[in-house]
Amino acid sequence: MDFALSKEQRDIVRAARKFASGEFPDRALEFDRDETFDLDLWRRACELGFAGVFIDQAYNGAGMGYLEHCLITEEFWAADPGIGQAIISCTFGSELLLLFGSEDQKQLILPQLVAGKAMIATAITEPDAGSDVTMVATAAVRHGDEWVINGSKMFTTNGSLATYILFFCRTDPHNPSRHARHSFFLVPTDTPGFKSKKIHGKMGIRASDTAEISLSNVRVPLTNLVGEEGAGFHQLMAFFDRTRLHICAQAVGLARAALEESIRHTKERSQFGAPLASFQVTQFKIAEMATRIRAAKNLYYEAASSVDQGTIDPALIAMAKWFSAEVALQCADEAVQMHGGYGYIDEYKVNRLYRAAKLLEIYEGTKEMEKTIIARSLLG
Amino acid sequence: MNIVVCVKQVPEVTDAELEINKEGAEILKEDLEFDINEWDNYAVEEAVRIKEAHHGKVTVVTLGDEDCADVLRTALAMGADEAIRIDEQGFEFSDAAGIAQGLYRAVRDVPFDLLLTGAQGSDDGWAQVGLTLAELLGIPYASLVVGVEIGEGTITVHRELESNTQEKVDMPLPAALTIQTGINNPRYVSIMGIQKVRRIEIKETDSEELGLSEAEIGSQGSRVDSQKLSLPPVGEGADILTGSLDEICEKTAQIIRDKGGVM
Amino acid sequence: MDEILVLAEHRQGELRDITFEMLFAANTLGKENDLATAALLLGHETSGLSGKLKGACDRVLVMEDPELAHYNADQYLMALETAIKDRKPLLTLIGHTAIGMDLAPAMAARLSLPLVTDCVDLSLEEGRLGVLRQIYGGKINAQLAMKPSDHYLISLRTGAFDAEVEQGKSGDVETIPAPAWTNLRGRQFLGYVEAELEDVDIAAADILVSIGRGIGKPENIPLAQEFADAIGATLSCSRPVADEEWLPKSRQVGTSGKTVRPKVYIALGISGAYQHQAGMKNADTIIAVNKDPMAPIFAIAHYGIVDDLAQVLPVLTEHFAKK
Repeated sequence: MDFALSKEQRDIVRAARKFASGEFPDRALEFDRDETFDLDLWRRACELGFAGVFIDQAYNGAGMGYLEHCLITEEFWAADPGIGQAIISCTFGSELLLLFGSEDQKQLILPQLVAGKAMIATAITEPDAGSDVTMVATAAVRHGDEWVINGSKMFTTNGSLATYILFFCRTDPHNPSRHARHSFFLVPTDTPGFKSKKIHGKMGIRASDTAEISLSNVRVPLTNLVGEEGAGFHQLMAFFDRTRLHICAQAVGLARAALEESIRHTKERSQFGAPLASFQVTQFKIAEMATRIRAAKNLYYEAASSVDQGTIDPALIAMAKWFSAEVALQCADEAVQMHGGYGYIDEYKVNRLYRAAKLLEIYEGTKEMEKTIIARSLLG
Repeated sequence: MNIVVCVKQVPEVTDAELEINKEGAEILKEDLEFDINEWDNYAVEEAVRIKEAHHGKVTVVTLGDEDCADVLRTALAMGADEAIRIDEQGFEFSDAAGIAQGLYRAVRDVPFDLLLTGAQGSDDGWAQVGLTLAELLGIPYASLVVGVEIGEGTITVHRELESNTQEKVDMPLPAALTIQTGINNPRYVSIMGIQKVRRIEIKETDSEELGLSEAEIGSQGSRVDSQKLSLPPVGEGADILTGSLDEICEKTAQIIRDKGGVM
Repeated sequence: MDEILVLAEHRQGELRDITFEMLFAANTLGKENDLATAALLLGHETSGLSGKLKGACDRVLVMEDPELAHYNADQYLMALETAIKDRKPLLTLIGHTAIGMDLAPAMAARLSLPLVTDCVDLSLEEGRLGVLRQIYGGKINAQLAMKPSDHYLISLRTGAFDAEVEQGKSGDVETIPAPAWTNLRGRQFLGYVEAELEDVDIAAADILVSIGRGIGKPENIPLAQEFADAIGATLSCSRPVADEEWLPKSRQVGTSGKTVRPKVYIALGISGAYQHQAGMKNADTIIAVNKDPMAPIFAIAHYGIVDDLAQVLPVLTEHFAKK
């Protein structure tokens, strides 16, 4: 058993850390306050090859694994969750295409994602369908040689920026199996009938775009079906088994940043005549944070490297996702506590970390869903 | 235009609290992060830029333990083509002349037009190795270089002098330059760069293979007998203002008014 | 009597401060150890300069040659080699300056001499040299004991010794012949490149608000500017800020920038590397704000605030805005 990263993986970590720590901190507050982002940062990250490193070399990707993508994600989120998410999320959906997309779909889209020429998004959640994805009601109906799609989606990351969006749609509402009623469709966002509206007022990661989408008689050719008709639910679960790893990395990056900020602050700030770090109450908090972060990291490293080696263990992935998100929340909470009043001001990084952290327990599977998956693997 | 760049791994100390070992001979390095010496990073960038404009090959060389291969891989990922690591065994406690000897033996058979080093190290700050190397190689040199123009068999450089002044000098190639910070804007390492490194084997050598005897390097070869480290007295001059932020600022404002004559 | 040889540094017809700082160090050491001080003046048409040296040393050695009109490593190496071989001094002092840094390492290699660069203090005990250096950006002091040698080459940090050297001596002025220029490597001096036109002259300011790496990002510069405006100060900076081009090079304080001597110097987020200190340590009052209580700037500041400048600045500015 070897817990060490390879030399190349360490090089990736260093490169991602240098880029993120060199470019993100200057812009983080502005993007957070104004709910904006500078797409040049995304383009630069793509030029440096940080986007979608798991994409095969046949599609101009680096052909690395999900673990490498996680390492980059962790560093980006440690520098700033908002900017990290704005960049890292631009390939959200490529995992599904790699698994189930046609050769034409992959050839068309994946190289553009790597090059920073296009973003892909994946639209699942609807106003009335969240954790229970089988309730998704956006309907795709075949008319001759086209699929006609109608419905609406909520909380789609990059919904107003993406060039391509994968829509989770209902194609066979009367199928006796709830897990055979849905399919994925690839929709270019310049297709007539597509409308998106940016959602404002998010609590955290405000540099990252989130939108609601309406589809009104959107017509796409039959070839825009992703994989097999009716396989959407199982595709989605397989997709989440990859993308949840990335959430773990986001969480660990955020938690690490919370720890770093706490160490810095408690060493600098003195109360009652001594640095905060000299009080046992602070020391124990720091020790607990570091231990939890290490545990979360090891858990997700195991989950990600087993996926890269071909073993998909949904319960292990769910454990890693739930646990790392919880660690992120705990660490962000303690970090703000140790910062006192300063932590309540948005100029302080821990403030952004605190607001970003909650999302980790919600998106791509709430913690309740993760625990359900874990329990099912144990209890049947 | 073939270029050799000598680089070094150093601990990052800007934000670190440094401690000294019991013997007082070295700082404790266990908790420190290591990175390429800042000056060397500019030198690598300059070399890669010159190569991109004039073709040729960039070879990076370092002297250090196995972990120091990290800085070579960083330089390769930035665009260098070949790398040599001289193992530090035997070089412990060398002075700058001993380090320069090791580098000299390693680069003298590498064909180059230009040899670059950082102007100094952020650790010991000897600022000696680059020019000692030039002298051992018997080639012209310039230190503290902040601008480079390549001519036909010659090079024109700007050297940084004091008081915001520079001088312009030229010299025939091959030549050695020590690079000052600010000469360029070093690039970030890319994933493509990192992948390129996979195909490159770092050449390894050591003092024995380079034909250096114990007398020439290490503590025996060094002109330094012993080195005793200490922490400089803290804030010996400064009266550290205490109190709440507001009280501190009130005191400061008063000092500025008193001493600066601000109304 | 053994000798300490000091390489007089001059540029564009002016002796530089480091020359007198080295003479101060040499005379101090010489007095304690019964050593004479000789200043070595290399140049062309330098007659005005030797007069300024002879009061501060026991002997002025002048080597005049058109080849030495401007500093050039090729010629200086040969000239210095000639003088060292001729005089066989126990110590040769060179400034740790753009000239000395360019000259000393190659000279040491050529003559196989022990060289210690960037020294801030010197001592001699039974002919053995001890030197004090600062390493890791001034965060650590290193006291070195050198192995015995008949000759040492030393480069001295600028500003480490007093430039107000006592002028009580009356050194003889001797001319030494220039060598035949046989071992030149083809380096040519082409000219000086003066600084670009400046927007303000920081050297003329009474109060300087100076920012360093600790400012963090260019977006924080207005914070410092507002404070400077509130107290009628001029904004200056340390090297990293100029390297990042957040402020023009003309605003840089330090050896490669400007030397300033304002009434009040407020160092914000400047750690205080010696190159910076050399440019500002003679300010009448120095106030330093830095998060790192170990920052070397606190060693020379008169008043210190250990805190994040982003917290301190707005409150401080407020204290002046109120008035």
